[in-house]
Amino acid sequence: MNRKICKLLTIVLVISLMYVPGCGMKPQPDILHVAIPFSEKIQDIDTNYYINYLEEKTGLDIVVSFVKIESCDEYLEVLLDSRSEIDIVLFGGSFVPSDGVLEEYVARGDIYLPDGEFKYVSEGWDTPAGAGTVLWISKEWLVKLGMPIPETTEEFEAVLEAFKTGDPNGNGIHDEIPLAGSLDEYDLDPVEFLLGSFAVNDPYHSRMTVDGKCMATCNAYREGIEYCNELFDKGLIYDGLSECSYAQLCEMVNRPVPVVGAFTSSSIGKVIYGGNPEVMARYVHVPPLKGPDGTAAAMLPENKTKIGAVILSRSEKKEEAQLLLDTMMTEEASLIARFGEPGVDWDYSDGKDISIYMIPSTIITRNYIRDVVQNKNLNGVGPMAVPEKYIFGVTWNGVNSDSEYVDARAQMAYLDFFVQAGDGLPERNEELSEYLDGYMIMFVTGEKDITDDGVWKKYVSDAERIIK
Amino acid sequence: MKRMITKFISVSLAAAMMLVPAACGRTTEEDVWLEKAGLDKEETAEELYEKALQENVLVVYTVSTRATQTKEAFEAVYPGLCVEIKDLRSPDLVDALEENYRSGHSDCDVVICNDNSGEFKERIADTGIAVPYLPSDIAAKMKDPESNTMGSFTYEAEMLFYNSEKYAECPIENIWELTDEKYKDRIYMPNPLHSFSTYAFCGGLLGEEDKLAEAYRDLYGCAPETGDASVSAFFWKSVSENIIFTNSSDEVLEALGSGSADFGFMVSSKLRFINLGYDIAPVYRLKPFSGCRTSYSAMIVRNSENINSAKLFIRFLYGESDGSGEGYKPFSTGGTWSARTDIPDGNDVPLDDIDLFVPDQDVLIKNREYLENFWTGVLESKA
Repeated sequence: MNRKICKLLTIVLVISLMYVPGCGMKPQPDILHVAIPFSEKIQDIDTNYYINYLEEKTGLDIVVSFVKIESCDEYLEVLLDSRSEIDIVLFGGSFVPSDGVLEEYVARGDIYLPDGEFKYVSEGWDTPAGAGTVLWISKEWLVKLGMPIPETTEEFEAVLEAFKTGDPNGNGIHDEIPLAGSLDEYDLDPVEFLLGSFAVNDPYHSRMTVDGKCMATCNAYREGIEYCNELFDKGLIYDGLSECSYAQLCEMVNRPVPVVGAFTSSSIGKVIYGGNPEVMARYVHVPPLKGPDGTAAAMLPENKTKIGAVILSRSEKKEEAQLLLDTMMTEEASLIARFGEPGVDWDYSDGKDISIYMIPSTIITRNYIRDVVQNKNLNGVGPMAVPEKYIFGVTWNGVNSDSEYVDARAQMAYLDFFVQAGDGLPERNEELSEYLDGYMIMFVTGEKDITDDGVWKKYVSDAERIIK
Repeated sequence: MKRMITKFISVSLAAAMMLVPAACGRTTEEDVWLEKAGLDKEETAEELYEKALQENVLVVYTVSTRATQTKEAFEAVYPGLCVEIKDLRSPDLVDALEENYRSGHSDCDVVICNDNSGEFKERIADTGIAVPYLPSDIAAKMKDPESNTMGSFTYEAEMLFYNSEKYAECPIENIWELTDEKYKDRIYMPNPLHSFSTYAFCGGLLGEEDKLAEAYRDLYGCAPETGDASVSAFFWKSVSENIIFTNSSDEVLEALGSGSADFGFMVSSKLRFINLGYDIAPVYRLKPFSGCRTSYSAMIVRNSENINSAKLFIRFLYGESDGSGEGYKPFSTGGTWSARTDIPDGNDVPLDDIDLFVPDQDVLIKNREYLENFWTGVLESKA
């Protein structure tokens, strides 16, 4: 009987062991916890083509935690104070750490840097080396008012006045905002664009030139601010410029009844919501305007290396984390991260097509998935290294409201207006930038009198002291 | 009497469309759709509006951004109706319509397309994927109702322009002058494989070889030595040495406007940009041609579930019964010519006073493979 019971127990044990995960079956993949900023553009992360591709390539189980805190800095602070099991944080879109934040965490030992450098960058989602900002103007309103696209600051002022007084949206209300903007980012601030008609203006490098001259203290720059102050006084620049957020600017521009005559942005898609061809069709780019002495300089882009991801030092799976991020940086993965599923959303080109930059094409887009709801990649979030030949070789998908195509045409129109090269510029001086930026808006809004020589002299001498 | 004829034409057109399904092997379900669509019904705009209010968002595929203005005017005139515009390049639009049809999606209700390359006709109109809708009260006002089998509502041209800031008047009189080396990289033209109107012009010259050869003799005093090539192939090979190919007419316009180009082939409707300050001027007189005539069609897409909205939108696009409707106005600008007798041309110079030819679509359809191979070779040689 005992033997029988023993035999029965053995059989039960053997059978039960067959159901224990990991015993005699495929090993369970290592789990990596990855934080990704929440995006309504990603349909379902569990079935996302890119995530599935990465899991297949690495053999890892990627568990995604969506971050709903909008501020990246705030999230990192909360995360690092918590006991969260996140191994990797991915950045992208507006979810990016402020300057110096990551370096601080590295110094504190919270962020792990393989090979001692931020190697998981994001290269290829944004078009590199374009103009820092572009002026977009309502073609519809120009046509209604019978005015040509302005070429000079004088003509521009006349256009803005007509926008203000001519009721171009036809609703009988004086609700038009001739020139809108936000101080949240340099490219969204129209003053930055307009200053290029008076002097070289490079806010990303503290308004310094290659030879170390601060343009923000020269007379030409002062003339530019006087011009902007005049526009502001006349109500031609949005009177809420100082308080207007990026999101508010977008809301104003995208209203069904148009209220914005012109705005600036490095990309039209940054301000106009995706899938909005009617709004997109309202605006055309305007090349840099000629100032009183003929100056017309395009603003250089920020061209800062963008970090796509970091590994937390406390992660117990640093090797696996590196494996995942190294895989994301391969050409194959980068092309998925940028263009979607190969053979479905894009194909390699045989070179017979023309790219949006009017060179022989390298990539043909079949489905345009950038900034639309899709399930093929992370819509620009995370590290990638797309080779330049594919960025500039991408074909147009034939959609007139394709923001990348609209941007490419604008960027090409700005090519002849770069008066200084991006190389050799001095490092950005945060203290100086903060000082100059603060004064600039005070001068424009009239809080400080730009025409007062005493005020100007003090401004200049304080700036010089910071520079020294 | 005229009204009766027009009504007859309208009814005949609808009857002809009823026959299309049989020819294309349509399913019974689709025949039911066509019957239910009632394209030959006499319906007023008011009646259609009432019924359209029960329908969903109307989706319009278009190759012209001007359709967005028509949409905005339509929504203002007919509160409660919504239109979604999807603007596509002609070949992509045809592909999308075919794909929708194959997969059984009724994603699009109305299509506005350039109908000149033969491709729209062959793949969309002749297969019945889209059907014309021309109400009898509007048919009565059309310049050429008998031959308007694809719902053409406006005429345009694919033609040569020059930079008017650089040249006070057109510096050439003969199209062969464009082959002169001094114009290297100074001529811009959309890729003919991705632009129906450019394709129509480039391919259409195959049917105009005698006139092209004659123009060569006028200029050089001898016949062109083309070797094994046809005259038109010889012309395009020679001139393409000087051409920078673009994706669209917009890029040609911008190149002319910025002074990067001396000449550019583009759609004539870009003439409206003169009002925005672009330094462009059309070449109306050129031996033997400055370009070719083109037209735009508006049709209802088979299996549309918003048939009343679609009919109402097309009526609106045509300018309604008396031609005064807002819907046609975006298409009545410089570089356009009206397809209706009661709406004046948008262009000051009439079509007849411009050196244009009308591309023979049968020639384009018959020679498609040759033309595609030829232009593929030209583009590859530029890469």
